[in-house]
Parts: sequence; C-alpha cells; structure tokens
Amino acid sequence: MNRSTLTLALAGSLASAIASASFAAPLAPEKMAGNEKCYGIALKGQNDCAAGPGTTCAGTSTMDYQGNAWKAVPAGTCTSMNVDGHKGMLEPVKS
Amino acid sequence: MTVSANRATALPQRAGLGLKPEHYETILVTRPDVGFFEVHAENYMGAGGPPHRYLEAVADLYPLSLHGVGLSIGASRDLDKEHLKRLRVLIDRYRPQSFSEHLAWSTHDTGFLNDLLPLPYTAETLARVIDHVDETQQWLGRQMLLENPSTYLLFSESTIDEVDFLAAIANRTGCGLLLDVNNVMVSAVNHRLDPIAYIDRFPVELVGEIHLAGYDETVDYVGDRLLIDAHGSAVRTDVVELYRHTLSRSGPLPTLIEWDNDVPDFATLNAEAVRADAVLTAAAVARGATRAA
Amino acid sequence: MTMGFNESQSAFAAALLDPGLPLPQGITTARGVTDPLRFAVYRNNVYVGLTTALGQRFPVTKRLVGSEFFAGMARTYAADHKPATPLIIHYGDDFPDFIAAFPPAASLAYLPDVARIEVAWTRAYHAADRLPLDVAKIAAVPPERIAEMSLVPHPSAGLVRSDFPAGTIWSAHQGEAVAPVTEWRAEAVLVVRPAMHVEIRFLPPGDAAFAACLLEGTTLGTAAQKAFAAAPDFDFGSALIGLVGLGAFSAFEAFEGKLP
Repeated sequence: MNRSTLTLALAGSLASAIASASFAAPLAPEKMAGNEKCYGIALKGQNDCAAGPGTTCAGTSTMDYQGNAWKAVPAGTCTSMNVDGHKGMLEPVKS
Repeated sequence: MTVSANRATALPQRAGLGLKPEHYETILVTRPDVGFFEVHAENYMGAGGPPHRYLEAVADLYPLSLHGVGLSIGASRDLDKEHLKRLRVLIDRYRPQSFSEHLAWSTHDTGFLNDLLPLPYTAETLARVIDHVDETQQWLGRQMLLENPSTYLLFSESTIDEVDFLAAIANRTGCGLLLDVNNVMVSAVNHRLDPIAYIDRFPVELVGEIHLAGYDETVDYVGDRLLIDAHGSAVRTDVVELYRHTLSRSGPLPTLIEWDNDVPDFATLNAEAVRADAVLTAAAVARGATRAA
Repeated sequence: MTMGFNESQSAFAAALLDPGLPLPQGITTARGVTDPLRFAVYRNNVYVGLTTALGQRFPVTKRLVGSEFFAGMARTYAADHKPATPLIIHYGDDFPDFIAAFPPAASLAYLPDVARIEVAWTRAYHAADRLPLDVAKIAAVPPERIAEMSLVPHPSAGLVRSDFPAGTIWSAHQGEAVAPVTEWRAEAVLVVRPAMHVEIRFLPPGDAAFAACLLEGTTLGTAAQKAFAAAPDFDFGSALIGLVGLGAFSAFEAFEGKLP
C-alpha cells in the first residue's frame, strides 16, 4: 500500500468510525464514556487494596526459607488448570 | 525556653492511627474522631493514582504525620539525594504536621535492604548521624523527629549509651525525638535492661511524638526472652503501663498506634486509639492536679 | 582493633544477605555472646519483607503456584535483586523476566505473562495522573494528516501480548473461587488508568499490533500497516477511536512534517 492509498484508507476508516451509529455523537464526553465500554472486552478488575507492596518499619518473627533447603511442591491453582491438554503442573525442584 | 518550643510537631496531644488502604473508604465515610493519621512516606512516592487521591482527602480532614522508613540516616554512606528530593516533594505537597525518621540504616552498597538495621554507638557513628540529620533538616527546610530503634543485638564497640546518643544528636542538630515506647520495651527486654530506667533518663522535653505497637515474643540462642517489634497485634499490657509512666514524666504527647501487619478492621484498630486517648486524658488530668496543687 | 564504620557496615550487610558467611564481628548480647538467632532476626526481616512485598504485588502468580513455591521463587529472586531505591511499590518490575528464566517454573509457560499483567496493573495504579486525549481532537485532525500523526501514551498505559490466555487466567483469579479457563489461545491485554480505576481489556490481534506500535511512538500510518499485516480485517477507525476512548493516550505529537 503506497502512502497516498494508505492515507485515503485511514481517513475513510476513521470517518466512518466517527460517523457510525455508535459514534454518532462522539464529541459528548458522557457518550464517549458509554461508548468506550463497547471497545475491547473488560476483564474483572483487581481490588484496589491489593495495589502493591507496602513499606513498613516493623520486624517479623516469621522464619525465612533457608536458601537451598527449599523444595517446591506444586500446590497452587495451576495444578487444576488443564485446558485442551495444556497441563499446569510444576516440576518439583531438585536440591 | 518553654518545653513545647522544642517540640518539632504541631500534632494534637491525641491518639493517632496509621492510615491503611483497607480503611480509606471507612475513614472518609464515617469520619471517626481520631487525633491524626500517619503514613509511611515511601508508600506515597508513586507519581499519582488512588493513594495520593485518598491521602489528599484524609489530610484535608485530619492532621498528618509523615513517617519515613527508607532514608537510612544511620548509614555510613552518604544520604541519597534523590530520596531527600522525594521527601521534599511530599512535604511541600501535603504540609504534614510532623516528619520523622529512624536511628537506623537500610541502604548500603547492596541496595535497599528493607529493614531498620542497628548501628554501634561510638564517637565516629555519632558524628556521622549528626551530619545526616543536619543535612536532612536543611534539605527538607524543617525540623524532624528522630526515633529510638528496637534492636535485637548489641555491638561490642559501642561506647555511648543509646539515650545519651539520641540526646546528643538532638542537642547538636536541633531535631526533636520520637519516643517509641514499644521499642523501649523490646530493646530493654532483649538487652536485659530496665525499661523504666530508660524512660526516666530519656529527654522527654525533646519528644514530639510517641509510638505504641504490639510486639511478638520468642527466645534467643541461650533461651533468653527475645521480643520482636512486629506491629501485628494490639499494644501489650506492659507497654501500656510503660506508656502511662512515660506520660507521668512528659505530660500528654501525640501518640501513634502502629499496626502494620495483619491489619485488623477499622473498629478494632480504633479501639486501640480510644484506649490511648483514655491514658492521655488521665495524664492531662493528673498534670493539671499537680499544677493546681 | 575495631573496623571503621563503613567497613563494619559492609560486613554486616554481607553477612545479612549470605547465610554462608560467618556472623559479622563485634555483634554481641548482654551476656556477651555471639548469638546466631538474634542475627537471624535481621536476616529474616530482610527476606520476609521483600518476599511479602512480592506476594502482595503478584497475588495471582502466588495463587497459581501456591504459597510455598512462591516463597521459594521470590526468595531466590530477592537474593540477587535488591530494590534499587526505598520505593518498594516499584519492587519486582523485572520479576516476570526472572520467572521466565526460572527452571522450576518452566512448565508453566503462561506464568511470566500473568506476572506481566500484575506489573502493568500496579504500574498503572501508581502512574502519574493525566487527562486522556479527547476523541474530539482526533475527529478534528485534517484527514490527510492522520497517517503522519503519532500519539503520546498515557502514563498508565501498558500492553501485555501473550501466546497464552494470560488475561483470562488473571481474570479467573479475581474472585474467591477460580473460574475455569475453557479456551487456550493467545491474548493481548491493554492496561490503562484514565482516572482512578485501572481498566483491563482484551484487544483483537490487529488492534494489539496497532496499540503496540502506537505505545512505542510510531505514526498512525506505520502502526496501521503493522496491524493490517497482522489481521487483514483490521478496522483502523474503530481501533483508534476505541483506544483513544479507553484513555490509552494523553496527547498527539505535532506532525513530523517530513511527508508531502
């Protein structure tokens, strides 16, 4: 596609998107707020409280994993995820 | 000079609470009668978003204390100028009634270690910390409060007592002190010292804020009690008693409840503030009675 | 002989991070003994603090592999990746890349992409606040200039393109119960926070190629050609209006002026 053909194609596509029924009044912000829901598929959102790590001045009495003593045992939801033969198992770690 | 002129805080002599994201909505909707809120500065160093939106709303309603946990004032290395700039931006934006940091270090050549680490108390380390507090106050354009640490070990090279160390820093830099009563209990038990003696030697006239928190308990290698500054429970009874004793010397002071791990619902947290407020009121009454007598 | 302050702090930090090293010289107790358990409290604080922070930033990754595996993986990461600054809110930006190269997680090929969505989400959450570009401004651009125009990405905008259903898997873990994942396919996910809520949307393949180019700053013409190549049925006008309407951009750049 050469430059002028592309320009024409894009301009035409944009014009029809703007003119199309769902964008008949695209300049009104409240309409756009409604229209944007039509684009893409919204995924269920994350809880804002889990919005990332916190910084603390507290200590902990939890004991840390001691380096190479760790052995992995798959126990998460991945173990039950098996779609079209795609398994979700984890390899156990050899230490 | 009056006692209050030394105090680097305009917080009310009330109990305050750490502001937790879990409680943003409850606080803004119910507007509880809490003396002030405190936040960890580093949690509000993102560029924007809901944390700033909520903090603005809370700071419009309540006095605010900004508590730094990452400046590493007790480091041998130079202070991080970028971090001082970030703190300055926050202070200029929110105009907190108090800014405080710790007598501890957390950054070395290895990067940020995310813990408040202990330092030996010697003439050399004292000079270094004094330089760092001076530099911080100059960068921030205000007085700061420096908090006594909770520690789990001692350094054989230490030659200066912790209270003397803190008092010397305050006298040389003009900073105020933040007296964490739970840290006093934790360190005193861990180092087989008398917590009351520590409080009785502490320059309470320089204290601008008190911290209270819950500790965890374990034992060390030889089986001695070892307290951990865990911030994951209600304030322990012995710490409440030590707090009462502290106020009998100092009079009422702004008092923060720290509960950072396993954060409970707001009602449970607020009950801690109500309890501290009762101790504060009793201290004010006792002081009034003493003055009147 | 005592070491200087800087030297002793270096030794303390080194012993803190490497359990294989002897305890630092000069640490003691009221009884005058060197106590490994007391030093271990600091060691634990460092690692538990960092791994807990990762667990809070990557809750779905953690659920997928389970707490114990996650703790071990995060611990391995933390051993070699300390936060560059005291801003723990940014800690773990390269954790997805670490997961992709972590042999014990190799059989979960989708795991790095799920973690990338979690990075994009938290980055969007803390990104600078900016008003998104108004669709009206796009409509007002002279048609012959559209192809030469480029757009400024919104500070919160991020795109994760995965060969796996990473978006569906992420979404399936937002409730108490994990929703079943029924279709195994490639997915592209746009993450953006135009106001106070982080939005996450699937994009069709052509639109994903288009958005990827625009977020890198290419012109609309170049991005459209890439999108047509990826998906012949790509609808330029709908994609542009859709992305702008979602708030993926904050402004458009002045025309480059190189074209006739």
